[in-house]
Amino acid sequence: MTERRLLRWLRPWVFPALLVGAFEWYARRAAALGSDALAPPSAAARAFMGAALDGSLWQATGFTLGTAALGLLLGAVLGIALGLVLGLSRRAAQLGSLSIEVLRPVPSVALIPLAMLSFGFGVRMELAIVAFATFWPLLVLVQSAVQQIEPRLLEVSRVLGLSARERAFKIVLPAIAARLFVALRLGVAVALVVAVTVEIAANPHGMGYAMMIAQQSFDPALMLAWLGWIGVVGFAINAGMVRLQRVVARRMGVLP
Amino acid sequence: MNANGRVGVMNRLGSLAVLCALIALWWMASNAGWVSRVFLPTPQATFASLLEGLNLRGSNGNGELLAFTQATVGRMAQGWLLASLFGVLLGAAIGVSPSVRAWVQPTLEFIRPLPASALLPLAISIFGLNPGMVLFVVAFGAMWPVLLATVHGFAAVEPRLSEVARCLQMSRAAFVWKMGLPNAMPDILAGMRLALTIALIVAVVGEMIASQSGLGQAILLAARAFRASDLFAGIVLLGLIGFASNALLAFAEKRLLRWQQP
Amino acid sequence: MSAAADFLRFDGVAIRLGGREILSPTSFDVARGEFVCIVGPSGCGKTTLLRAASGLVTASAGEVRRKGVKMSEPSREVAFVFQDYGRALLPWRTVEGNVSLALEAAGAPAAERAPRIAEVLGKVGLAKHAQKFPVQLSGGMQQRAQIARCLAQKPELMMMDEPFGALDALTRQSLQDELARLVRDDGLTVLFVTHDLEEAIYLGDRVIALQANPGPGRPSLARMIDVKIPRPRDQLTTKEHPEYLHLRRELFAFIEQSHD
Repeated sequence: MTERRLLRWLRPWVFPALLVGAFEWYARRAAALGSDALAPPSAAARAFMGAALDGSLWQATGFTLGTAALGLLLGAVLGIALGLVLGLSRRAAQLGSLSIEVLRPVPSVALIPLAMLSFGFGVRMELAIVAFATFWPLLVLVQSAVQQIEPRLLEVSRVLGLSARERAFKIVLPAIAARLFVALRLGVAVALVVAVTVEIAANPHGMGYAMMIAQQSFDPALMLAWLGWIGVVGFAINAGMVRLQRVVARRMGVLP
Repeated sequence: MNANGRVGVMNRLGSLAVLCALIALWWMASNAGWVSRVFLPTPQATFASLLEGLNLRGSNGNGELLAFTQATVGRMAQGWLLASLFGVLLGAAIGVSPSVRAWVQPTLEFIRPLPASALLPLAISIFGLNPGMVLFVVAFGAMWPVLLATVHGFAAVEPRLSEVARCLQMSRAAFVWKMGLPNAMPDILAGMRLALTIALIVAVVGEMIASQSGLGQAILLAARAFRASDLFAGIVLLGLIGFASNALLAFAEKRLLRWQQP
Repeated sequence: MSAAADFLRFDGVAIRLGGREILSPTSFDVARGEFVCIVGPSGCGKTTLLRAASGLVTASAGEVRRKGVKMSEPSREVAFVFQDYGRALLPWRTVEGNVSLALEAAGAPAAERAPRIAEVLGKVGLAKHAQKFPVQLSGGMQQRAQIARCLAQKPELMMMDEPFGALDALTRQSLQDELARLVRDDGLTVLFVTHDLEEAIYLGDRVIALQANPGPGRPSLARMIDVKIPRPRDQLTTKEHPEYLHLRRELFAFIEQSHD
């Protein structure tokens, strides 16, 4: 029995191990032939250890995660607030619909030069773009979640004569908690992707920039190390959010 | 016009009024100098830049914006088409077989959160700075949502339908073509819509860092040269591209998924 | 005689699921043209028996033989009507398209399909709704569409798993009569699973009653009753026929008994 469990535990790693192995073989051959475009995964692992030991890994990762978090905070607060308003008031939703339809399709990357112009390089510029990018999905998802609250619950709040604040905190927010968390999970994913993208495109800080610099200095091992690390960080954070989501759903009575 | 119709028109007008109010706010903020015109050009300057750039005002403008728009849209569209084709083919191949899925799915889940633009440095390393490189990353990056959606669509065939296929003694090929693919259609189309967003983003970022001619590079240069109205004109165009491509796809989706509406 | 009896033979068919014996070894024959109803409480294995008979599931012991050949895989000559009709129809095809699926699977040339589809839709009364999608149809119409697709297979044998269970009483009654007419016109052999005793007696030539939790001295196959009520049957007069009432009382008493 334990043999089967061991096999099941190992199975997800077989295919990637094969890929990494093939890549290792190919990159070594390419390096032997004088190419400096690729590096074998073993060299990337060494470069990764180097960056971890000299602190540059943590500094860059910290910048990206921190900026993404701040941007998400701003975008989420604004998006949730507006989403609550538009979800509770059909009138407001209809009035705002055209403006939202016009502004939402602007790709966040299009605002990179504008943010650069306004804030220069650094935290503020990246934060602003992450905020813009996370604002829309949170707005739309929260609005839809509020619109789908069991109408009976809202009637109860009217009958009990709850104030707007009480209604928001005692009825609306708990009712949408599970779906709100799903929206936040999406927001986290978007925040990370956008932050890294801004660093690749322009901002000379963070993980994306470190990867770009490595490539420009013809250090493919370090570049691949960063690429792998970005993947691992993204995966870990998303997986963590999924776990957390299950916990929240259970506590809010959505899952048994 | 009955009461409902009138309410509908009133709502649309109200919505338009809000938008106009926002534009008026923009007008005030820029013309009155509440926000410096270096960062916030006036609406009229933006509009003028648009007209000039699109060569809509006779021979006054140099019409570069039109060429840039074509370049960006071309990159986005080509990459998206390639991505959709390969995403569906690969996704079908993986999704149809539960055993292949079991081996490969965890790796796919790892790739899912990776930003598509993160592949640009690697691609530059391998291919150099040229349009083909950008197209490759656009296609490769946009492929994953389609692939993942297709795998999911094929994996989730209603078990009852699989039994019907067995009762009718349908061949494997017939099952994939007549049941698997139509069943996966809603997922595939959703994946293709996401892929379109990614294609636009990667096209723009690719133009920015690889100095390829297009709207991405244009707005970057405009910002560096403090030409705010040109910058805003480019942003407006990118917004339009995003809007139009999404609307077209949503329309196609509605036609193809007619059978969902009672 | 044996040729007719050999049409469908259950030979010691037993089914175990999850370590429990759902169906103890069961044997009986079905003659060509017979309408056999299978009744029993939930968990007695009637659905599983039907699925084993059509080859969707393999019996843990014993065999189901059709014309002497063991049924190990589904065959187009044995049509299966599922209870959850909504999930057995292709939502992206019209009624016509769904019926066509059976013909496509059988490799019928395109020219032959249209008349055959029209014929079968006419038989179930859906001729006017051929271009509608399943989502636009009522429950009864969806079930008729599924039956139409099964008829298009030109089956020898029709397995029906509580086909009218999810429908309202009036629709059920009209579909029962339509089914009886179809079966008579096409000379079909039917195995019909239902939890509704009255439906079983009304439709069947024979009723087989299964009981749950079989054990030693308590086989799954508890009763086999011939329904000697003349055809054609009718919702009003048949249900007042003395034989009907007698059988009804007998089966009710039996089901009550088996519940203890």
